[in-house]
Amino acid sequence: MDNQQDIGLYLHIPFCLSKCSYCDFFSIVTGNEGLKRRYITALIKEMEIYRQKKKDISLSTIYLGGGTPTILDGIQINEIISSCFSNFQIAGNKKMEITIEANPGTIEIEKSKILLQSGINRLSIGAQSLDNRVLKKIGRVHTKEDFLASYNAAREAGFSNINIDLMFGLPGQSMAGFEKTLTGIIKLKPEHISLYGLSIESGTPLELLIAAGKIKLPSDDLSNDLFVMAIELLKEHNYEHYEISNFALPGKRSIHNQIYWNDKSYLGLGAGATSYLDNKRYRNYQDLEQYIELLNYGILPVEYQEILSMRERMSEKIILKLRMMEGLDKNDFFNQFKTSVEHVFGKELYTLKEQGLLAENKTRYLLTKKGISLANNVFTEFID
Amino acid sequence: MSQLTRIEDIRNFSIIAHIDHGKSTIADRILELTEAISQREKREQVLDNMDLEREKGITIKSKAVRLLYKAANGRQYIFNLIDTPGHVDFSYEVSRSLAACEGALMVVDAAQGVQAQTISNVQMALENRLTIIPVINKIDLPTADPEKVSKEIKKIKGLENSPIFLASAKDGTGIREILEAIVRYIPFPEGKIEKPLQALIFDSIYNSYQGSVVYLRIVNGIVKPGMKIQTMSNKNNYEVSEVGIFTPKRKKVEQLFAGEVGYLTAGFKDITLTKVGDTITNAEHPAVQQLPGYKKVTPVVFCSFYPVENDDYPNLKYALEKLSLNDSAISYLPENSPALGFGFRCGFLGLLHMEIIQERLEREYKIQLIATTPSVLYRVHLKNKQVMEINNPSSLPEPNLIEFIEEPFIELTLISPSQFLGGMMELLQDRRGEFKNLEYLDKDRARLLYHLPLNEIMLDFYDRIKSVSKGYASIDYRLLGYQESALIKVDLLVNEDVVDNLSFIAHKDKAYDRARKLVDNLKTVIPRQLFEVPIQARINHKIIARSTVRAMKKNVLAKCYGGDITRKRKLLEKQKAGKKRMKRIGKVEIPQEAFMSILKID
Repeated sequence: MDNQQDIGLYLHIPFCLSKCSYCDFFSIVTGNEGLKRRYITALIKEMEIYRQKKKDISLSTIYLGGGTPTILDGIQINEIISSCFSNFQIAGNKKMEITIEANPGTIEIEKSKILLQSGINRLSIGAQSLDNRVLKKIGRVHTKEDFLASYNAAREAGFSNINIDLMFGLPGQSMAGFEKTLTGIIKLKPEHISLYGLSIESGTPLELLIAAGKIKLPSDDLSNDLFVMAIELLKEHNYEHYEISNFALPGKRSIHNQIYWNDKSYLGLGAGATSYLDNKRYRNYQDLEQYIELLNYGILPVEYQEILSMRERMSEKIILKLRMMEGLDKNDFFNQFKTSVEHVFGKELYTLKEQGLLAENKTRYLLTKKGISLANNVFTEFID
Repeated sequence: MSQLTRIEDIRNFSIIAHIDHGKSTIADRILELTEAISQREKREQVLDNMDLEREKGITIKSKAVRLLYKAANGRQYIFNLIDTPGHVDFSYEVSRSLAACEGALMVVDAAQGVQAQTISNVQMALENRLTIIPVINKIDLPTADPEKVSKEIKKIKGLENSPIFLASAKDGTGIREILEAIVRYIPFPEGKIEKPLQALIFDSIYNSYQGSVVYLRIVNGIVKPGMKIQTMSNKNNYEVSEVGIFTPKRKKVEQLFAGEVGYLTAGFKDITLTKVGDTITNAEHPAVQQLPGYKKVTPVVFCSFYPVENDDYPNLKYALEKLSLNDSAISYLPENSPALGFGFRCGFLGLLHMEIIQERLEREYKIQLIATTPSVLYRVHLKNKQVMEINNPSSLPEPNLIEFIEEPFIELTLISPSQFLGGMMELLQDRRGEFKNLEYLDKDRARLLYHLPLNEIMLDFYDRIKSVSKGYASIDYRLLGYQESALIKVDLLVNEDVVDNLSFIAHKDKAYDRARKLVDNLKTVIPRQLFEVPIQARINHKIIARSTVRAMKKNVLAKCYGGDITRKRKLLEKQKAGKKRMKRIGKVEIPQEAFMSILKID
């Protein structure tokens, strides 16, 4: 077991039905079946190369993200999942968490059943909002009704672990409107809810629309009120706020995502996907043709790798752990780096406590309520 | 220098003109006709050799050139043309150059007519008892009206009976006539070769090989290498190492004698010891009397320069030292601001002078600067009868110690088409101007005279004049001296801390409006902090305006998964780098750019 390491496997499916105006993730809009076919072949080829190269890894989770993975048909998805099983060892004997992301309108009962049969046991649906007016403003192609239909179909097919993605700080969002979305979602009793603040990425259509004055965002103050309200409301309904943007019913936290947040190793396959192995971070080529071409030649399509310095590893660890509500365990830090966090970041920790952004108890540092809203101010302190 | 040259054959003259009336092109044509420069060397505007001078179309430093002219009477003459700056800020340079001449060409644009600066230059030339030859240039323009312009010129006091010459420097028309007029009307120098040496320093430049190179007009006597000389103001002795003339490049000659213009080097290590306006004499046979010098130049406009990057402070210091070697009119003293770090409080002759120095620092020395709002020099009379001179609002003493404050006033001459007079007068009224006189140059153009505080033209004045008159008005001013004013100091407080660089002195009737504007502007540029930041304007101990920057409530990263971690770290690194560049006022962090934009606001 010494050499064996458990990792999370991420598979990137870079296809979408349409592009949302706020998204700067790598995905392309295509109906080109040939391209999808070649991409899946390349993805499986990449698995095979890793099987040869890295005999010491075993999977503890699988996550199909995108893009919109459910744009692929059930057979294609099944092919990908079964290739994972044939190329990698599986860690432990517990049933492994296998998640797929879906957008409303790309999933119905029959497809859900196929997904379940292929071994997928967790579904993450990008609802974002239940307000059709708001959805339209951010360029989502689905409606509230589409979402409800997909959700109910998944439940009916047998999905017993569902996450719903929501966003706050969206154009046109008000306290009352957002509360309606939240109560609507809570009524559905999803096992997990992710709640992200909208951020304006450079180069997105949304950025241009805002710059041109065509779309107005809620103020930072309102945005924060929306966030704080959501935290309270979800807590009242038994959802644990366990990561800064994530809520789960007891026992339903995302195992795969906790790998990222706990600074553990993961392998990312597919165009533009990122891996973190042995303190090195790799990123694949985003260009689909290049990605496919290199794999045709049996070459790993790694575009970029980054070896993290000790200092960078420390600051990433702190930032990721502070994003978790349980906070940073002082012993955990000491055990990993052989030095105390106070020794390295004493001044920063002190300043943040003074500013009321950070709390300390015997074993841990954690964000205060104020610190959650101003998390970036906390994190930048640990960056050089 | 040929032994045959007689003092009767020398003509020393300048060209004076309003900006863009064609001084440099006239000079170029003269240079061509006298063959001082070959066609190969010819560039547009030979005498303006600083980049900035070409760009702005103005002359900043005086220059001289020696020309040979074969006149219609068959005799060969030596012309020394001394170029002069055209802007009011540099009028001291003009007066220096004029003191080295016997005559001046006054160039007026045939379409635009007499301008404010034309008149002040004429006055200065007449004070120096120079013979003025008026030249109407650009007669080739379709809009030229030489007859009307002639009438305007004849209205100028002292030029009522002058013969006026018409020219087009562009096509060369009239240039030969001008050269003949120089021979005929400008008197030859009066000096005597036999008398003890008296030479007037009218400019100097610094050169790291030779030390100061001084520009001279020899009034009496002879100077040559090996001679022991003395600067008369401080009785320092030197030995001459080189003398020469300007062709326009410097060219060594064996000697310079009475009536001539040239340069001299004598191992002057310290430029401050060879003052412009001083007299050089023979150390062994000194002249009895010093030549009349010039009035000392004193800075009238002040502002602080801070390097944008703190590391640039030593470079800024070095650059100011260098620039002041060739421009003794700059003054600078180190200064320290809690918000901006280390910098210098600098004094200038005027706003254009300030702007030029700032641009030279940024361009030639590649130093990015923050310049604070310009201020004038206030004279503060204290109750204990002491008088203080203050060029920085932050150093004003407590109000209870002050008896009264004086500020510099100017006489502003403004020439404008009459249709804009109403707007001009309104603007001047608003700037605390006092009407003195209105005189029509002809039926559509008038000359306005106002008295107003210099401080009132510091901010946004030239631009306003330009926009009110659609660019047709010209202005010029001279300092009148100090007068008492009802002035008060307004302090700006950010989070209860006084920000020195934002304090200002204003007339009591204008203080509130300016304070309100500044406070409102600050509110928009100061980013939200973790706490609420009050911004206050205070007179004495009373708050007169206030605004609040509310506390920042939200600054959260979006989602953060595997692929995001590097990206997010880069983003945080960027935020952090931005934070490091922040300037601090107490606990408040303000981005550099914001601070600069505040300082630019009037």
